[in-house]
Amino acid sequence: MKLWAFLAAAGLLAAAEYHGDTDKDRARILARRNWWSFQKVVRPDPPKLNSPWVRTPIDAFLLEALQAKSLKPSPEESKLRLLRRVTLDVTGLPPKPEEAAAFLNDKRADAYERLVDRLMATTQYGERWAQRWLDVARYADTNGFEHDLERTHAWRYRDYVVRSFNSGKPYDVFLKEQIAGDEIWPGQPDPLIAVGFNRAGPEHLTGGNQDVELNRQEVLVEMTAGVSNVFLGLTMNCARCHNHKFDPILQTDYYRLQAVFGGTEGKEVPLATAEEKARYDAARKAYEARLKPVQDEITAIEKPYKEAIIAERRAKLDPAVQALLDVPKDKLSEADREKQKNAKDQITPSWDEVLARVPKPELERRSGLRRQLHAIELDEPSPPAAAYAVVNREKPEDTNVLKVGDHRMKLGTVPPGLPLVLTANTAKPVPLEAAGRRTVLAEWLAQPEHPLTARVMVNRIWQFRMGRGIVGTPNDFGVMGERPTNPKLLDWLAAEFVSSGWSIKAIDRLILTSSAYRQASARDAAREAVDPENKLYWRMNRRRLEGEAIRDSVLSVSGMLNLEVGGPPIRVPIEKEVYDSIFTEYENDNLWPLPKDRAQIYRRSLYLLNKRTVRLPMLANFDQPDAMTSCAYRPVSTHALQALSLINSDFMAEQSAAFAKRVEQAGPAVPVRIQRAYQLALARPPKPAENTMAQDFFTKGGTLQEFCLALLNRNEFIYIP
Amino acid sequence: MARTRRNVLLDAAHGFGAIALQSLLAREGKAAPRVNPLAAKPPHFPAKAKSVIFLFMVGAPSQIDTFDPKPGLKKYEGQRLPESYGKIQSQFTDGSTPLLSSPWAFQQHGQSGAWVSTLMPNLARCVDDLCFVRSFHTDSVVHAPAMYHVHSGRILMGYPSLGAWVTYGLGTESDNLPAYVVLPQPEGTPEGGTPCWGAGFLPAVHQGTVLRPGATPILNLKPPPGVTQQRQRATLDLLQKMNDLDTDPTDSEMGARIASYELAFRMQRYAPEAVDVSKEPEHIRKLYGLDQKRTADFGSRCLLARRMVERGVRFVQLYSGGGPVSTQWDAHKDLVENHEKMCGMTDQPIAALLTDLKQRGLLDSTLVIWGSEFGRLPMSQSGNGRDHNPHGFTMWFAGGGVKAGRTIGSTDEFGLRAQDDPYSMRDFHATILHLLGLDQNQLWYLHNGRQEKLTDFGGNVIQRVVA
Repeated sequence: MKLWAFLAAAGLLAAAEYHGDTDKDRARILARRNWWSFQKVVRPDPPKLNSPWVRTPIDAFLLEALQAKSLKPSPEESKLRLLRRVTLDVTGLPPKPEEAAAFLNDKRADAYERLVDRLMATTQYGERWAQRWLDVARYADTNGFEHDLERTHAWRYRDYVVRSFNSGKPYDVFLKEQIAGDEIWPGQPDPLIAVGFNRAGPEHLTGGNQDVELNRQEVLVEMTAGVSNVFLGLTMNCARCHNHKFDPILQTDYYRLQAVFGGTEGKEVPLATAEEKARYDAARKAYEARLKPVQDEITAIEKPYKEAIIAERRAKLDPAVQALLDVPKDKLSEADREKQKNAKDQITPSWDEVLARVPKPELERRSGLRRQLHAIELDEPSPPAAAYAVVNREKPEDTNVLKVGDHRMKLGTVPPGLPLVLTANTAKPVPLEAAGRRTVLAEWLAQPEHPLTARVMVNRIWQFRMGRGIVGTPNDFGVMGERPTNPKLLDWLAAEFVSSGWSIKAIDRLILTSSAYRQASARDAAREAVDPENKLYWRMNRRRLEGEAIRDSVLSVSGMLNLEVGGPPIRVPIEKEVYDSIFTEYENDNLWPLPKDRAQIYRRSLYLLNKRTVRLPMLANFDQPDAMTSCAYRPVSTHALQALSLINSDFMAEQSAAFAKRVEQAGPAVPVRIQRAYQLALARPPKPAENTMAQDFFTKGGTLQEFCLALLNRNEFIYIP
Repeated sequence: MARTRRNVLLDAAHGFGAIALQSLLAREGKAAPRVNPLAAKPPHFPAKAKSVIFLFMVGAPSQIDTFDPKPGLKKYEGQRLPESYGKIQSQFTDGSTPLLSSPWAFQQHGQSGAWVSTLMPNLARCVDDLCFVRSFHTDSVVHAPAMYHVHSGRILMGYPSLGAWVTYGLGTESDNLPAYVVLPQPEGTPEGGTPCWGAGFLPAVHQGTVLRPGATPILNLKPPPGVTQQRQRATLDLLQKMNDLDTDPTDSEMGARIASYELAFRMQRYAPEAVDVSKEPEHIRKLYGLDQKRTADFGSRCLLARRMVERGVRFVQLYSGGGPVSTQWDAHKDLVENHEKMCGMTDQPIAALLTDLKQRGLLDSTLVIWGSEFGRLPMSQSGNGRDHNPHGFTMWFAGGGVKAGRTIGSTDEFGLRAQDDPYSMRDFHATILHLLGLDQNQLWYLHNGRQEKLTDFGGNVIQRVVA
């Protein structure tokens, strides 16, 4: 046995404070304080360039960098493509024909700026942003792992995110609410909902004997990773097992940050009034009264068959054991009690063993009753409102440095604290009591002088709009991350962000109205030779729509999109193959109840149930992240399963039919229909060649629905130009 | 069957979009070749195994009732585990229940003299092709995390599965089928669910594709009712012509999109044929047990697995068990009934798969793995069952590059803990990658600032498994 294991087993290690770091270790860390992203942001002056291309300071920085390589920016994108780009980008939905007409007819010099302002004022702006933020926060509606149960109240965090982006909430407030809203604004619902961020990740909840310490460690790892990836932009979690291999982060830095959460635990905090709760209790009672007779009838059907199996199995037991079965528990010795329990286990049949005995007519009657039951279950009253939140325990637990991250190998305790390299001379002590630890962390991050917070967020905004971050690795501003392609631009944006009052909308608008954003995305061999990855932004990046935005766009074009905002997550119809992939050991006849109100299944993808183990193929095939770890940017892969979902799925069949119906309303003439289909799908008229192609298609027997389906599959439809 | 990317494109070019595809060909080697992200890639070093069939027994078979005899247990029947073994915490029991010896007899088989219990009489005839490792251990005592561990190297969800890593490293040889196919138990999914064959943070193209017997083996493979193949062809031709209007021929991402529709169209033609086992000759169907109720289901999946590797599929993940407890190997009670049923369903088909691969010369290039998320305890649960045992259990390897007819490692006298040469899941994964010609340290993906690898901090290739 190794020494640490011996000491740990003897309980000698846990209580002692960890003193594994030497002065040399600390000196080594401090010597690396000069890393670029740890330096205070100093606002650079935008280059003074005399060029009509420079509309915003952003353009000045970019143009200077382009000129240094003797490159020119690309010409401005056509009005219609620009409309499509900015509409998809800001709302996640394609422009409507009337919006295209209005924009084309708006001859004012600031028509484009007005368009941006109009789009940014829509509710869809916040929904689009929320989708992006939830990727980073690795939000889902279920716990993950085998049971993957729904988190009844988690969706309130999703809606909080939408509200926050739409209301123009300052980012420092947004950050503080999510890390420590419960501490800083006690008693207020929104900050309480916001701290759901800390438990948005997966959590393993299962039955049987539990390794409580392991489970707790997993929860803490999740919380720590959330804050460090999302707000700090550092891979602190790499230091869980050892001092960070690349960044100046000690293993103790990691555990001191983990200790900030040492008093934090998940809790559903009631938000409902007493009256609401009483109303719910009454509704619940009435609901259960409706269920009971049906449940009783089902039990009555099963009873004789279940009893028959038990009797048969019982008869096969040793007579002495049989006799034990009828003796009351308290009259048995411990050994016999064990025997009785075993015997009971052995003779009790599983549900499927019982059903295998039930004759067909009764089985059918039972199925009918189950359907009745499930129909009633759709009326289950919504539980009284609560926040899927975190709260502080009375007393914080000890946080130990763990050898290779293993909770059984405690090396000694550490107090809560902030990373040494970033706080060397400025560290504000983190309280030792449970309450207030997260507040110190949040306020430290939200300081205007923090070198990472503003840089990390403006880089996310930039990446979202421009397709690639100034730092290409938005969750990693450390040594393994990429260096900024334009450091001065990054710093200017960060400074501007803070001085604008941490306004996401201000930075967003600045980017969306820049000349850089308005450039054509067309490729150019000569410029590509100099800068193949477009790191200097000599053109706009074309981007593929996310699966969610593809689905929403299709619904928008078919006219079926339901723009209702917020509320509990929605289940949409899934294919049998997907249904079969849902794990259960129990009867699988009602694993995916669809909403009673069919209009709900046409809601925006943001509101669909995001179940960690059951991914919707149309979204997953287009690289939707699995919500297990923070996703800073989605990979873009292209493969045949995408084509299969977009040409053959029931969803696309239904939607292309609805789209065709909508087109038919334009009139019976083929050219009119072609015109209307193009306007609806792509917000532009068909080109002559496209007209000919379409005419030809119809002449050869093509149907309108097929034509509509082809349009929805076009590259132009799937990509942001 | 191996076909190059060039062939794929030429084949596609016979259909439609010939011009765009020809132009793609013309510049092949110039721009980034992103047309087929699954194009076959050479391994890091030469290796025999080209494809993998992973036979996964969901719920955990008992090692001491199948491949790891513990005759000494008889002596301790009904007694408690000696205190010197320490406290054993399983998922439902706490180590205090009585020891239970195996109800089945064991015999040595073949030239190699490997031990197999009477539960697997057919597999017993194949032992000279197998390499048993009796000393694996894993980190979780709970099904789902242990499944993630054996499938993806971590007890957490969200990491790329073995098949995803392998297709990421090697691409595929098949143009008409997915690179990585999954054949689940029809009654239900394993406890870990779809993340067991997920791509994690790798691009979605690397996820496993569930394949089912019948006319629509792949999700959304067929057009909706009423749409004929000719009609679909016409729609796709229109799509292609429209895309050609505004697609830069040197644009490889758009090229990939065009090619993806062609592959989808070809899959519609080839996939139903690939899963159609009805055309197999009678003696083959019989070999796999398709003529008997008990073996027909698992047998047809084993036969499918052979047809897949024959057609160049890189990785086949095949499950026995899933859904209700009665269709899993999870014998918490009534071990005898459970294991006789599960072995009865799988023994003949697995032996048939090995025999059939061998007679076709495919065993040399196919790595076959049999295993599970953990094993079972020598102590009883509910009197006649066994709880989970992550401390020591058996898996076996066969085929491409494997040292056949060998038994490696051991467990203690009760079959509880790995004793001689204990091997971790990292070692397991390192060995599989090695047999495929992949170096665990060269196969990585940058995710959130970390070079993520299947084996994380690294495992050791179990050299004695390698021929």
